[in-house]
Amino acid sequence: MLNIQTRQEGTASVVSIQGKVNFEVTAQLRDVIRETVATAQPKLLAINLEGVSFIDSSGLGLLVAARNSVDKSGGKLHLCCLPATVKKTFDQTNLTNYFSIFATEQDALRGA
Amino acid sequence: MAKGSVLVVDDEAPIRDILSFYLKRAGYQVLTAGNGLEALEEMGRSRPDLIISDLRMPEMTGDEFCKRVKGDPATRDIYFIILTALDGTASRIGSLTLGADDMIPKPFHAQEVLAKVDSTFRLIEMQKEIKRQNRELVAFQQRVQEEMALAAALQMGLLPKLPGKAQGSHYTHRYLPVAGIGGDIYSILPLPDGCTAMMIADVSGHGVTAALISAMVKTSFENQVRLGGDPLTWAYGMNEDLCRSTLAEQFATAWLGRLDPGSNRLRYVVAGHCAPLRIVGGTKGGLHRSEVLRGKGFMLGLDEQLPFVEHDAEFLPGDRLVLYTDGLVEVEREDRSMLEEAGLRRICAELPVGSEEAADSVITQARAYNQSAPFMDDVTLVILDRQA
Repeated sequence: MLNIQTRQEGTASVVSIQGKVNFEVTAQLRDVIRETVATAQPKLLAINLEGVSFIDSSGLGLLVAARNSVDKSGGKLHLCCLPATVKKTFDQTNLTNYFSIFATEQDALRGA
Repeated sequence: MAKGSVLVVDDEAPIRDILSFYLKRAGYQVLTAGNGLEALEEMGRSRPDLIISDLRMPEMTGDEFCKRVKGDPATRDIYFIILTALDGTASRIGSLTLGADDMIPKPFHAQEVLAKVDSTFRLIEMQKEIKRQNRELVAFQQRVQEEMALAAALQMGLLPKLPGKAQGSHYTHRYLPVAGIGGDIYSILPLPDGCTAMMIADVSGHGVTAALISAMVKTSFENQVRLGGDPLTWAYGMNEDLCRSTLAEQFATAWLGRLDPGSNRLRYVVAGHCAPLRIVGGTKGGLHRSEVLRGKGFMLGLDEQLPFVEHDAEFLPGDRLVLYTDGLVEVEREDRSMLEEAGLRRICAELPVGSEEAADSVITQARAYNQSAPFMDDVTLVILDRQA
């Protein structure tokens, strides 16, 4: 089970995720992101991955799809607080160069 | 149309008559019997939906009758209501532990019995509906399982035939999908110029969708290879194919390689895939140094505009190549530590001579990292030995 929290910071939405992001929980996460984008229509969607212990290819796919859908609606997607294991997965798949990644949530919000 | 049939069992004729009268008037079909034995005979002729039975009767008591009905698989689903004059809680519980479904204390109002029969028939209808739906579900599940088994067999057919041979090399694989069918695929093709084209890929997700895309990845790779070119152009071509034909969250990590035995060089592209190992002189068995064929690159199917990079490594006669998908190294212990690439390198430091024995050894040792829950994701391992 994934723990997901969302909150609004001005025109930005912040989604914080805790747990293991794999195939079993992507549906749950997808719904939250979709609903956040649809209802808040944020200029910036910041996803805080601080509490994520593991992410598999389904999870990565979900983040890529989220970036594409936010792009289409004229917004931006920023990721922040990647733990070492997640950072490694991003490096291996070169996604470090695909996403805007920030060290802290504050930086992610300021980077708008 | 009759609403359903009720068997009324009581040794007192007036009680049978009263219940019959009310139940018939309400539209039920009614059968009667004076004791358990007669009731069983009656049931041999016609199967009721519901039984209302007294407890104290000659020949065969209600207790015994209830036990017989509930003990026989053919009749145990018939709803059984006990009529009892014994008003103590103990005897009521006793009746229900015999297997009776409900009880009505005596003396009773005929209306009360009727109301209970009506509500029971609603339950019976519901149960029938649930059973019907359950039968449909079981049939559906069976159909799906058969189709999955067929699809799994078909997918195994997409893998190269073993023992695998390519110019001056031979190879084997171990393919272990978690759900019978999976998103891993690999292909090894001899090229007209004497080189060997290789591809291993892992499609995001599991199951049928991933399997379908894996077939697509294989076809795309083979088409690209036929067009000529090198791993870099294959990567661009496959990326384009996948971007055009898959949905938002579907993509594949892949490693594409071209082995030139003339120059002893291996050119390759890493598309988000775990880097293979080159075991220097590994075909001789014993202790050997491994090199990680590293490289960075995006997964296939993300975005048509993304760039790829080609790398180059030495690959000599007698070297061994270990290609794999991440499921092999994501074996996790309870303390959350994972086998990872470093663990696989430790395993590969000393492997047996033959590729078959080496493949078995890698799988066994990876599994041993967490014996109780080894592989949570599709696992593919390919070992290619270049003859010395």
